[in-house]
Amino acid sequence: MQNVNLMAHRITVYSIIALLALPIMATFVYSLSSHWGASILPDGFTFKWYAELFSDSRFIAAFGRSLFVCVLALVLAMLLMLPTIFVVFYYFPQYDKVMNILILLPFAVPPVVSSVGLLQFYADSPFTMLGTPWILIGTYFTIALPFIYRAVSNSFIAINVKDLVDAAHLLGASTPKAFLFVILPNLKKGIMASMFLSFSFLLGEFVFANILVGTRYETLQVYLYNMRQTSGHFTSALVMTYFAFIFLCTWLGSRFSKGNLS
Amino acid sequence: MSYVQVKQLSKSFGKQRVFDAIDFTIDQGEFITLLGPSGCGKSTLLRCLAGLNPVDQGQIWVDGENITDLSPQEREMGMVFQSYALFPNMTVAENIGFGLKMKSTPAAQARSLIQRFVELVELKGKEDRYPHQLSGGQCQRVALARALVMQPRILLLDEPLSALDAKIRKSLRQQIRDIQTELNLTTVFVTHDQEEAMLMSDRIFLMHQGEIVQQGSPESIYTQPANEFVAGFMGHYNLLDKQVVKALFDLDSPHKVAVRPESIYVKEEGRQYEAHISSPKTAHVLNHQLLGNVIRYKVQIEQQEMTVDLLNRSSERLLPAGSRLELLFNLNEMQPVSP
Amino acid sequence: MNHNAPSLPLTTSVRYKRRLMPKLNRLKPIVAVLPFIVFFYLFQLTPLFWVLVNSFISEGEWSLEHYQEILDSAFILQGFKNSVWLAFWSSLFGLLIAACLVSSLRHLDGKIRDAVVAFTNMSSNFSGVPLAFAFIIILGTNGALTLLLKQYGIIDDFNLYGSHGLLALYIYFQIPLGALLLYPAFDALKKDWQEAAALLGASQRQYWLKIALPVLSPALLGTFIILFANAIGAYASVYALTAGNFNVVTVRIASLVSGDLFLEPNLAAAISVVLIGLLAFITAINQWLVSRSYHAKR
Repeated sequence: MQNVNLMAHRITVYSIIALLALPIMATFVYSLSSHWGASILPDGFTFKWYAELFSDSRFIAAFGRSLFVCVLALVLAMLLMLPTIFVVFYYFPQYDKVMNILILLPFAVPPVVSSVGLLQFYADSPFTMLGTPWILIGTYFTIALPFIYRAVSNSFIAINVKDLVDAAHLLGASTPKAFLFVILPNLKKGIMASMFLSFSFLLGEFVFANILVGTRYETLQVYLYNMRQTSGHFTSALVMTYFAFIFLCTWLGSRFSKGNLS
Repeated sequence: MSYVQVKQLSKSFGKQRVFDAIDFTIDQGEFITLLGPSGCGKSTLLRCLAGLNPVDQGQIWVDGENITDLSPQEREMGMVFQSYALFPNMTVAENIGFGLKMKSTPAAQARSLIQRFVELVELKGKEDRYPHQLSGGQCQRVALARALVMQPRILLLDEPLSALDAKIRKSLRQQIRDIQTELNLTTVFVTHDQEEAMLMSDRIFLMHQGEIVQQGSPESIYTQPANEFVAGFMGHYNLLDKQVVKALFDLDSPHKVAVRPESIYVKEEGRQYEAHISSPKTAHVLNHQLLGNVIRYKVQIEQQEMTVDLLNRSSERLLPAGSRLELLFNLNEMQPVSP
Repeated sequence: MNHNAPSLPLTTSVRYKRRLMPKLNRLKPIVAVLPFIVFFYLFQLTPLFWVLVNSFISEGEWSLEHYQEILDSAFILQGFKNSVWLAFWSSLFGLLIAACLVSSLRHLDGKIRDAVVAFTNMSSNFSGVPLAFAFIIILGTNGALTLLLKQYGIIDDFNLYGSHGLLALYIYFQIPLGALLLYPAFDALKKDWQEAAALLGASQRQYWLKIALPVLSPALLGTFIILFANAIGAYASVYALTAGNFNVVTVRIASLVSGDLFLEPNLAAAISVVLIGLLAFITAINQWLVSRSYHAKR
């Protein structure tokens, strides 16, 4: 009886996982096949699509731009959030609730809606924002916000900020020093984990990139979209390269977050 | 014939043997405690009785019926968990009535039963509270009522007091014992706390590494430990090597000898002692601990360190380290223990 | 100060500090938060305010004209209808499949569990444009799966670019997100409850109906809302799959601000406000449902 149940649970899990893996696997096979027309299996295998992709300077440039924007957005988010979370937890713990509502905004407002406002608001700003990476960095900061706040505030809860800072004060450290030398090192794992995890979904962001910036500063996703008319094999290789990168980031992120638990 | 008979019960998890060929019987209305350190197999044994863990071999008989292969639903056993296991989405009354509902008890009858058991565990007025609105002690009383209302053939208690603080623990253990006596319920209680076991049980099964190493009434287990493990577990016994016993008391023993700290006296001048009291031994106080009504001295007699419990009488000062004492031993209470 | 009172330099400075420090001390932490507030205001709050205010402005004057326009436009209303249809069914199926996955996963051993969690984590990032392309490869007109199913006569034709194709795509990206949100909720189910229920005579089914589902219901409802919001706000995947030819509300909004033809940002703002209102309404219903469950009494 118990074995039958276990079998049923196994089948459920594996078939759902197979369902989720199917598009990824198909794309992978497609990216390696020389031709896959009106047939169920491809005709032959080749690496030429990857070779073509990596020799495309437009791809390399778009990838570079995406990395630039995402890394900068995350650095910005951390620089803004760490002092904020520290202040909230150390001085005004009652405002944690307010923060939790604030960080819901980027999550609850669809990017398309935000981009309507951003597009108009920054259309007549004194310095050019639209079409530049700077507006993307700003908006990416907002969408990374909920994830970073949750992850880092969880690490904050785990270390008992109040006692640690009070102890540092009694040993002669100022509050900024206590933050830098006592609190920050204890948050390292939480920060790294949330950085990698946020990085992998920022890299997949398309809406803001397409509407606010478009081809004027072509990022990876926009490049991918613009390549839709080219060979499906080529775009598959592109998708797989992107996914491999995501894989790496998520893996690193979960390694950090697991380390955080132990 | 005994009410509960456990025959040759064996259980292992994978390669790890939890217990092997355990036998015991329980009479109707008896309060049995499975006592032992964590990992001794007592909780697994209880869960096997409940049917929550299948057994590998052996049989369990209750009231002349072989229940070994019955599911937990069919066993008519009540169980109280260490974590209370109250259903968080149900009120006190709904929790207590859950089993009745599963049995399709008529509503009116169920209501009066719930009422009766709510009163029995002294939770009147709290029927509509949810578990998270109750204290730990109240939760555990709800859990107890939930098990009792089903009129189980056996009540199983899995460390029900361990999650509670000391004061609640004391009052609840008395309450459990009173209710058990009143209802004449056959009860199996699991604990690692020897004080709890001594206070509550008719009989204690002391378990160690998957075996029942000694069973008997609390006083017999306490005063006549069968082996070194029992002596070590049940109290602060002094374990004396047989050479020491020979040297001090001129007694021959095949094993070590266990001496209870409270069976040692201070010699009173001018008093006549009976034959089973040893000659006085000179001891030096090493240190003391004040336990309230008792002062526990660590002393040295010749080369042997010993623990001695003396009543804390206000007339006697605490003896500082280095003080000399003349101590007497009751030779009848020297208990040889096998390793 | 110190110069005027050389005999008591220490005490004076201490006193001086004491009087002034509380004010400064209270200000200092706020200075540390200021940059965050500025950025959050610039990139999150202002766009929202702009949308809200401008949705009520038509040709420079306060008016409800754009809202009237939405009600009069069968095209925009169809966009809403399609969006709600897609969001509702994809959330429902996504939630059900995710719940099956998570509840069955609890019975498998630790290593497989960790691997599956890691995999869902990763596949939750497989969305948007890349996902649309993957779907074209397997389910498009000449997709491998389409051909396979056609060959065995299971389907005549499958239109990935219609509502059912989109639904499949939406369900796909809802499953991992739903699973990630449900893992912690299912972990909160204690094994003791099931055992206690069994000893009280409840069958597996009764345990699920009377205990597990009621306990899980707030989490299930909450997850449904998040999935719904996720689907109704989705833009990249539908845009990439149909090049904006399938009429959903996000495509409508985007085409009014960045399309090639008629740019009407204020109308887009009005549609956005209605969309957010819709989400708020559904969240309110959810809150009401959750408040009826036992959790609210905490």
